[in-house]
Amino acid sequence: MSGRLRGWLEDRLPLADVVDALRHKTVPHHRYSIWYYFGGMTLFLFGIQVGTGALLLLYYRPSAAEAYESVQFIVGRVPFGWLIRSIHAWSANLMVASAFAHLFSVLFLHAYRPPRDLTWMSGMVLLLLTLAFGFTGYLLPWNEVSFFATRVGTDIAATVPGIGEFIVRFMRGGKDVTGATLTRLFGFHVAILPAIATMLVGLHLMLVQRHGMSTPPSVERRAAEDPRMVRTIPFLPHFLLRDLFAWTIVLALLAGLSTFYPWELGLKADPFAPAPAGIRPEWYFLWAFQTLKYVPPTVAGINGELLAVAVMGGAAACALLLPLFAGHSHGSRRIVVWIGTGALAFMALMTWLSLRGGRP
Amino acid sequence: MTRTAAARIALLAVAVALWPYAVQAQTTVDAATAAFRDDVHAAAGLTCASCHKGGATGQARYDALPRPSIAPMCATCHSDAAYMRRFAPQVRIDQYSQYLTSTHGKRMAAGEGRVATCIDCHGTHGVFRVRDSRSPVAPANVATTCGRCHGDPARMKPFGRVDNPPADWAGSVHAAALLKRGDTSAPTCSSCHGSHGATPPGVTDVVNVCAQCHVREAQLFRASPKKEIFDALGQAECLACHSNHRIESPSDMLVGLQKGAVCAECHDETGESGATIRTQRDDLDRLSAGLASADAVLTRAERAGMLVDEGRAALRDAREHQVQSRVLVHAFAAQPFGETAAQGIMSARRAQEDGDAAMRELQVRRRGLAVATLVILAFLLTLWLKIQRLPLSPQDSTRA
Repeated sequence: MSGRLRGWLEDRLPLADVVDALRHKTVPHHRYSIWYYFGGMTLFLFGIQVGTGALLLLYYRPSAAEAYESVQFIVGRVPFGWLIRSIHAWSANLMVASAFAHLFSVLFLHAYRPPRDLTWMSGMVLLLLTLAFGFTGYLLPWNEVSFFATRVGTDIAATVPGIGEFIVRFMRGGKDVTGATLTRLFGFHVAILPAIATMLVGLHLMLVQRHGMSTPPSVERRAAEDPRMVRTIPFLPHFLLRDLFAWTIVLALLAGLSTFYPWELGLKADPFAPAPAGIRPEWYFLWAFQTLKYVPPTVAGINGELLAVAVMGGAAACALLLPLFAGHSHGSRRIVVWIGTGALAFMALMTWLSLRGGRP
Repeated sequence: MTRTAAARIALLAVAVALWPYAVQAQTTVDAATAAFRDDVHAAAGLTCASCHKGGATGQARYDALPRPSIAPMCATCHSDAAYMRRFAPQVRIDQYSQYLTSTHGKRMAAGEGRVATCIDCHGTHGVFRVRDSRSPVAPANVATTCGRCHGDPARMKPFGRVDNPPADWAGSVHAAALLKRGDTSAPTCSSCHGSHGATPPGVTDVVNVCAQCHVREAQLFRASPKKEIFDALGQAECLACHSNHRIESPSDMLVGLQKGAVCAECHDETGESGATIRTQRDDLDRLSAGLASADAVLTRAERAGMLVDEGRAALRDAREHQVQSRVLVHAFAAQPFGETAAQGIMSARRAQEDGDAAMRELQVRRRGLAVATLVILAFLLTLWLKIQRLPLSPQDSTRA
């Protein structure tokens, strides 16, 4: 039966070609190989997001009047609803962490070099999309913390001269954070962002398949001296089984986190209540949030917040276009490593200061 | 020494002798002038001469006014509706007529100048509006102002008055609400005794005073058989159980027949009343214990990340019934207290059940996780063994 089905499928789809290509695909195997698995891990977590998100959609109702209650129903009444919601929330956070780990490993191993420049750029856009997923999903439970954090987060866009007010109104669907904002962000979260992300993931995977895994320059040098020093392993089954091993560990971690630390729902948002103390965004936005706290109101006559947002935007644009202007000499690569280390240290320091409640 | 020189020396001696008085007079006037700058009357355009009139001559004189004349002098404006309307359209104008009915006013009218008059409470030259926190009669300052006289044994003794009410009030639940929590609606001296018409409430009027805030308790008390009995016995209603100035936060310990319970001062185990009191105390204890136990299990469940909203709602309902039950004690009857307390106990039980169910669910989840972890570990081990057995065929190629 299975043979007939396979035959039927092979007559219609190029399955044999795909399997054959995968059988012949090889992956470099060296002491930095562990960093290759973060890309697959991010993809695996994205898959979990899609699966659990689809299940949550069966009960979630995106309106200010019903959102909180529907999540309460999911968590309290729907069989395994608590598990699905917690896995969705935890895997979102792990996905951001994994995406950042993937970004910095690619940066430090100089895998952005041509011909993988487009792979890097598509990956950078995917990281920004991941953050956008986090931002748009944060408000959906319509609880107190997410409501006020979204208000603070969207306020930052108002500093952009000329179009700031328009951006805020576009994100909020009005002047303030209301039910219209919830509906709008829900639309972004479940339709627009997934559509763009799916296309970009496809492009990213196609480029990875086209150019293969990058070998770090230090390994390349050794390979040039003695090709036998650098080995490759078949993608199927060697690399895929290792990927599966990593995914299973992530799955176990998700199950443990969801059972012992179920994602809190908090209190329902009350737009007329004063903002509670200690409002802050998700951990991956904390570094930017803390940086804005340290920026003086005006710097050389320019709005300090605007300046900080412009610098951060500029840094993101530079990171996106890094392959276009990063040199290929050893010295240039060292500069990239130093800048990357500085950025990572800065983000870690600001996050730590924010977590310990640091104030300027 | 010539006569002129002698006259100059004498003049100098007189000047030196009078200097301290002159300085004092200057200082008093300066202080009064300085204080008056912030005075509500100065803001309204009044001057020193508005109060310090020179009697028939009409010439301003800045001597202190005779104390009995102060209240009538203030009343010339403050009892004049047409005049006062110019400054505040809704201001009251009955202070002086109330003052005349007060113990202070009656004694002052009888020529006793030591009792309080307007300036003793409101201040003399630095008078502020009552809602101004600097005013000595602002809610938070009233007890201190009254206590200046009523807490002073030397001042109270000649009138045969005790000097402990201000200190007693300071230890009360009302003082804590006003001074610690900043709740300006909490009662202070004037809330019960009145301000301008200050007088101690009569024995049968106490419930009316307390009823200003404790409406339901007063209603129940008035409708209860206790009202008639207390009145006949000359018992001061609410005060009989709660005391007057040092009113402490009521607790369930007040109810019962044990030592320290107020019921036990008149009742014992015998009769229907004894049984009712015992039942009420038992119900109150069961309700408190049920609430504490349910709260503990719900808190444990919440700390473990469980959603126990329905339990919390039931607990809120139980607390509501506890408050109502405590109020219903003032009906001094088995019902409706018993019914309300029973509803509270049921709600507490529902909260407890929700908390227990959440804890059971937590155990199920943890057992499920343990099983899943075992399966995952077995899968990982299998994968690991498979990976280890895969031949690492070296390929002499690198991919750039």
